[in-house]
Amino acid sequence: MTATPALEASGLTRRFGEVTALEDVSFSIPAGQVVGLLGHNGAGKTTTIRLLNGLLSPSSGSARTLGRDPWEEGPAVRARSGVLTETPSLDERMTAREALRFWAELWNVPREEVTGRIDDLLERFELAGRADDRVGGYSRGMRQRLALARTLLHDPPLLFLDEPTAALDPIASINVRDMVRSLAAGHERTILICTHNLAEAQELCDRVIILRRGRIVADGTPSQVTDAASIPIGVEIEVDPDHADDARRIAAARASGGATAAGPGLVRVEGLAREAVPALVAELVATGAAVYRVSPEQVTLEAAYVALYGDAEGEAEA
Amino acid sequence: MNWRAIRAIVVRDLMLVMRARAVFLPLIVVPVLLFVLMPAAAVIAIRAGGEALEEFGPLLEVLPPQITDALGGGPLERQILVYLLEYQFATFFLIVPIMVCAVIAADSFAGEKERKTLEALLYSPTSDRELYLAKLLGPLAAAIGVSIVSWALYVVAVNLLAGDDIGHLVAVSPLWLLILVWLGPAVGALAISVLVVVSARVRGFQEAYQLGGVIVLPVVALVVAQLAGLLVLDVRLAAALGAIVWAIAGAVLLIASRGFRRERLLRQV
Repeated sequence: MTATPALEASGLTRRFGEVTALEDVSFSIPAGQVVGLLGHNGAGKTTTIRLLNGLLSPSSGSARTLGRDPWEEGPAVRARSGVLTETPSLDERMTAREALRFWAELWNVPREEVTGRIDDLLERFELAGRADDRVGGYSRGMRQRLALARTLLHDPPLLFLDEPTAALDPIASINVRDMVRSLAAGHERTILICTHNLAEAQELCDRVIILRRGRIVADGTPSQVTDAASIPIGVEIEVDPDHADDARRIAAARASGGATAAGPGLVRVEGLAREAVPALVAELVATGAAVYRVSPEQVTLEAAYVALYGDAEGEAEA
Repeated sequence: MNWRAIRAIVVRDLMLVMRARAVFLPLIVVPVLLFVLMPAAAVIAIRAGGEALEEFGPLLEVLPPQITDALGGGPLERQILVYLLEYQFATFFLIVPIMVCAVIAADSFAGEKERKTLEALLYSPTSDRELYLAKLLGPLAAAIGVSIVSWALYVVAVNLLAGDDIGHLVAVSPLWLLILVWLGPAVGALAISVLVVVSARVRGFQEAYQLGGVIVLPVVALVVAQLAGLLVLDVRLAAALGAIVWAIAGAVLLIASRGFRRERLLRQV
């Protein structure tokens, strides 16, 4: 028997008048996966979250969240999902404890568990010392932690985190990332993270989906996405010093950025397609060179993202 | 219906009002001003009126017979006191539910938008209908509560000040009961309906409250009409007006509910 995916979209499209915010988006996210939804502002990330929670109806296509139609069964879907909105959306006139108690009532947390859960979350998010202060006096990081605590109050199996570290200072960002990592531990929760921080996505996500102008332009593990981007990379090759010149000449013929000697037996190659590396090594071996080491640079998700966005722009303009 | 969630939203909205001085202050000041200080000033002025009270004679003469009977005869000063405290202040009283509902509904609808707290609420496991109902019940419950407290203050104040002159309990009558439980909530509901419509079109609390304030005009017209002797708010008129106002408020709220959908509310986030 196949397990029901936590999130599914099939040809999901949403238009606002003349503007198409999301177009023909399809994906299936199994339970327990941490997925990064990436894209520029206006790419359709927040619209996707709203559609998957039944706040918006699709113009065409369909979605299923935890096996339910979010538009038809919005309250039931939202009862099992937690959404960290882009702005913390907290009442400044309430204390953290009051706010959490209010949300616990709203999410129908069993009455006998409310106080215990609130105390645990306040402790976990390092807010216990200020729990009875009004939120109006909180720093941005504290607000973000409180908003994150709110999303976990009803222990949802599905989390949507919209820009969880936006506008946070580096230390607060690290703390929030650590929290997300701990939430993902054990693969008990499905987490969809919208972020502009690509290093964060690469670090936290099992999979990334890149949206551009409402369409998916890449979907896969971070390494699949970076591989698929076909970005010319730098490679360092160490061969026996007698074959160093041969190695430099052969590599230069295959790389757009040329090849230079970087030391005895060491060749630095620039602008080589990743998929060309095995062939290059094979050719070097065929010339009788002893290849001791080949170190291709790791392509960052950021570089892949820029490349994919560039390609997509080109396609759109073509 | 998710009554636990509805109750939570009502309680939170009222708690937030209590914590905003600009919002909460009118809820204290207006009842004290209208139902303690104004009647006290009126009683003192009537007692000191002397011959000037004769000018009220023509007003009393044009009153419907059942009101004249209810004034119970006796000295002119007593009749004026009964008329003012029993009937005229009854029309003033309608300002309370309007004011309370306008303040709280403005804070609840437009204020939520201004504070940018609406989005999180939209992600809660409530239906659009539950959310709307909760937003309506908060102001209405507060209006009924403040009305009862205001009425109690008024009863104590006027009976202490003028009870001996009048000879019976003032403002403890079917008319006041009807105002408390029927006409007052009706005008409150009308105020909420206006604020729901207004709040969808403005940016924040102040703007909503100021625009929604126009709802007090029909009550002012009623007060003036009664002062001019054109009509008297008695039991029959209060019952009929209540039915009409409830019908209008219900219709406006029903129409406004079509705009209270998550998809539309998101545009205000």
